[in-house]
Amino acid sequence: MTTAPAALTVRDVTVRFAGLTALDAVSFTVEPGSVHAVIGPNGAGKSTTFNVLSGVYRATSGSVHLGSTELTGLAPHRIADLGVARTFQNLALPPHATVAESLMLGRHRLTRAGFLASGLRLPSATREAHRHLERVREIAAFIGLEKELDFPAGALPYGKQKLVELGRALCMEPEVLLLDEPIAGMTADERRRTAAVVAGVRDSLGISIVMVEHDMGVVMRLADAVTVLDFGRRIAGGTPAEVQNDPAVVQAYLGAQE
Amino acid sequence: MSEATKDAVAPAPAGATTTPAGESLTARLRRPAPYLWLAGSVLLLLLPFYLDRFWLQAGLFAMAAAIGAIGLNLLTGSTGQLSMGHAFFLAVGAYGYCILGGESSTENGHAVTGLGLPTWLAAVLAVLLAGAVGGLFSPIAGRLSGAYLGIATLALIFIGQHVLFNAGSLTGGFNGRPVPPLSLFGFTFDDAEVVVAAVPFQSSEKLWYLALAALLVSGLFARGVLRGRPGRALNAIRDHRIAAGVMGVPVARYRAGVFVLSSMYAGLAGVLLALVFQRTVPEYFGMILSLEYLAMIVIGGLGSVAGAVIGAAFVSLLPQVLTHYSDSLPLVSAPGTGGIAPGEASRYLYGAAVVAVVLFLPGGIARLKTPGEKKK
Amino acid sequence: MTTFIELLLGGLSIGSVYALIALGFVVIFKATEVVNFAHASLLLAGGYVTAVLHDDIGFWPALGVGIAGAAVVGSAVEFFVMRRYRGSDQSVLAIVTIGVDILLTTELVRRMGTDVMSLGDPWGDDVVTIGGVTLAETRIAAFLVAGLLITVFLLAFRFTSWGVSMRAAAENPQTAALMGIRLGRVSLSAWAVAGALAAVAALFLTVFPTPGLERATSLAALKAFPAAILGGLDSTTGALVGGLLVGVTESLATGYQSDLSFLGRGIGDLAPYLVMVVVLLVRPAGLFGTKELSRV
Repeated sequence: MTTAPAALTVRDVTVRFAGLTALDAVSFTVEPGSVHAVIGPNGAGKSTTFNVLSGVYRATSGSVHLGSTELTGLAPHRIADLGVARTFQNLALPPHATVAESLMLGRHRLTRAGFLASGLRLPSATREAHRHLERVREIAAFIGLEKELDFPAGALPYGKQKLVELGRALCMEPEVLLLDEPIAGMTADERRRTAAVVAGVRDSLGISIVMVEHDMGVVMRLADAVTVLDFGRRIAGGTPAEVQNDPAVVQAYLGAQE
Repeated sequence: MSEATKDAVAPAPAGATTTPAGESLTARLRRPAPYLWLAGSVLLLLLPFYLDRFWLQAGLFAMAAAIGAIGLNLLTGSTGQLSMGHAFFLAVGAYGYCILGGESSTENGHAVTGLGLPTWLAAVLAVLLAGAVGGLFSPIAGRLSGAYLGIATLALIFIGQHVLFNAGSLTGGFNGRPVPPLSLFGFTFDDAEVVVAAVPFQSSEKLWYLALAALLVSGLFARGVLRGRPGRALNAIRDHRIAAGVMGVPVARYRAGVFVLSSMYAGLAGVLLALVFQRTVPEYFGMILSLEYLAMIVIGGLGSVAGAVIGAAFVSLLPQVLTHYSDSLPLVSAPGTGGIAPGEASRYLYGAAVVAVVLFLPGGIARLKTPGEKKK
Repeated sequence: MTTFIELLLGGLSIGSVYALIALGFVVIFKATEVVNFAHASLLLAGGYVTAVLHDDIGFWPALGVGIAGAAVVGSAVEFFVMRRYRGSDQSVLAIVTIGVDILLTTELVRRMGTDVMSLGDPWGDDVVTIGGVTLAETRIAAFLVAGLLITVFLLAFRFTSWGVSMRAAAENPQTAALMGIRLGRVSLSAWAVAGALAAVAALFLTVFPTPGLERATSLAALKAFPAAILGGLDSTTGALVGGLLVGVTESLATGYQSDLSFLGRGIGDLAPYLVMVVVLLVRPAGLFGTKELSRV
């Protein structure tokens, strides 16, 4: 990636469907190369935010920009083309395909072999596949999955599967990485490893990371900035320390003060 | 994948597939699969010298069906797009070939027009025509899925039947059209006898090798697609449509694209079927034919090229086998007499096979032996 | 002008029958998320039972048995086939119903052969003329009965506890089960009701002016599929509107066939499918269907 990383700006995004307001004028900015956590109680609108950012939902109003490029209203694959990658809470991994194959799917936007080239096994397609498989191996090694490349993803422990999902998003060579609860359901060991990977991604690859997460310890340790949502509204934001002590945040999580 | 070296085999992790990389030459020679392929290929090449016309026709029919099934499998098995319109594209291929390659003639007082193009060109154009018509349908094929697409493609069947029965000067109406024999490089695949190794070759024998070649090319092409970048995208569309889009796969474009590809396979199968039957009739290309192709890919195994071929062989050979042995089989008898006609009996069997496979053998026949093997 | 009114009324009548079939189809989809491609053969089964029995036990008892029979066949399919599927892939379930359809249709067609079977209905060829407009009695009966059944059904769907359980199960099966709704019962009753409605529809598809129950009846029943789709697969209102739309289109296209002869013979049979394609181009989820808003 040779272009200067851009900030992800969310401005007054509102999402309404079937009479329900899922997001109400939410705004926040993700500085380039930072880890930005989005937290909040269940139903606060965190997943909805991710769906808007990746183009799965259409915002009723407001805008999302990556640098100067507007992302609002674009189809998901166009947003992916612009450098936004995302993982899913409920893992979108085909269980029978090998880890390598799943990771290769992440290379889709960077490769070009079509039906004709693949069907005829043209040298251009084979060369391209080799090149990108090498890169996949590199990325797998970076996140610690090089030994599992030929396993079917379904045979791996849950924590490793989440790592594959993360790796696949990385294979897209994104500018912005959206991680949907990357640590949920993991053992303590797996948590540490994943947190290290996330930190490593920010530090050595300079990718901006937006993270929905419930684990406060991880958020405090990893996040450079935090946005707190409740009932679809942004109720607080800032550094982890600032947010931790914000009375509105405490109230949202613990209920009204006596 | 890198080629075999003389190093020792790396221990395969439990539950994973064996990688060809690093496997020794002697280990490879010991595997049974290549020998089976060799033996099977030799057998297939020699069959026309020994089988009679009935069985050759049955085999040709099965090969044409296999090509069609491979195409439907790409669409429905690998991409999850249910289509009941396959018979329509078979008709486009068959009738397209007749119209493009046939001469204008009059049969029983009915005039049919033909362009009289060289038949090899007509065949190629017919396949492309099937693809083009599939392309016309892409505003629907790209945006719809599931039952919506399934029933929308049903419309194609009825549109097709309507056109076939009504556009008499093109299609010959309910009488159909005679099929011009194929000529390739001066060699004509007709009934004029050619003696090869003391065996008289007529149209069935000649077409056999053409069909084998076509099936081989079709199968290899489909495999290449499924194992490469498009195959990954197609499977992603089937398994996690939203995630596929988010990962950069333009879903609507791929859906439309695989629909066109599947239509071309059906077109090719249609041309072959026309050459085998030597006559096209509109009744054949109805809804039941589409359902038969769906049965083929389910029984053989969704998402697998080999499965499509197995399923096609099963469903298309069944009525032939039952007809041939109807005397010795209980219940099954020639049409007209009491008992069950071979056509009906085979429908019972493959209908039941569809239900049985889905309930008890998910993955179809092709995946019987190794449940942990990765999908092709 | 009278021709137009007659065609319109006739179309509404046959449309209400299509709506009846489409409704059963939609009910199964709403309750179980399964697309039942065996629906046309359920209809044929119900009609066949009535046709075979009416000579021996009289029309109304035969109709009753036919309705019950179709309900039983539908329930049997649900209980012995659909319920046994352990996976979660909807398109595979749809293909299972195709397998069931092949089995049922082959059996029924074999028994029927090339016969055209009368169902022994009491209306026969009688027609009624009101204000210069002539209508077959069977058409009026079809419209009234179908209308009544649809109304009863929709009311039950809305207000009875059965209807509520069905809608809850359609909305969110896991939650419904946690709230004590027996999903097995919901599925079973959906298939049974669909079968029963189809059997009534079979009656009206085979009375005047058509000669009776025959192989081609299932092709006529098939038209309820585009009706359900263009209305929206998960909408009962859609089934109603779709059915009427399909019926009217078919009736008008067939009626004015001589004027439309350049489009070919039998354009009336094709018209429903063309209408469906046009609607789908503009509304890919049907007129009243909910656009997929998936949870990720």
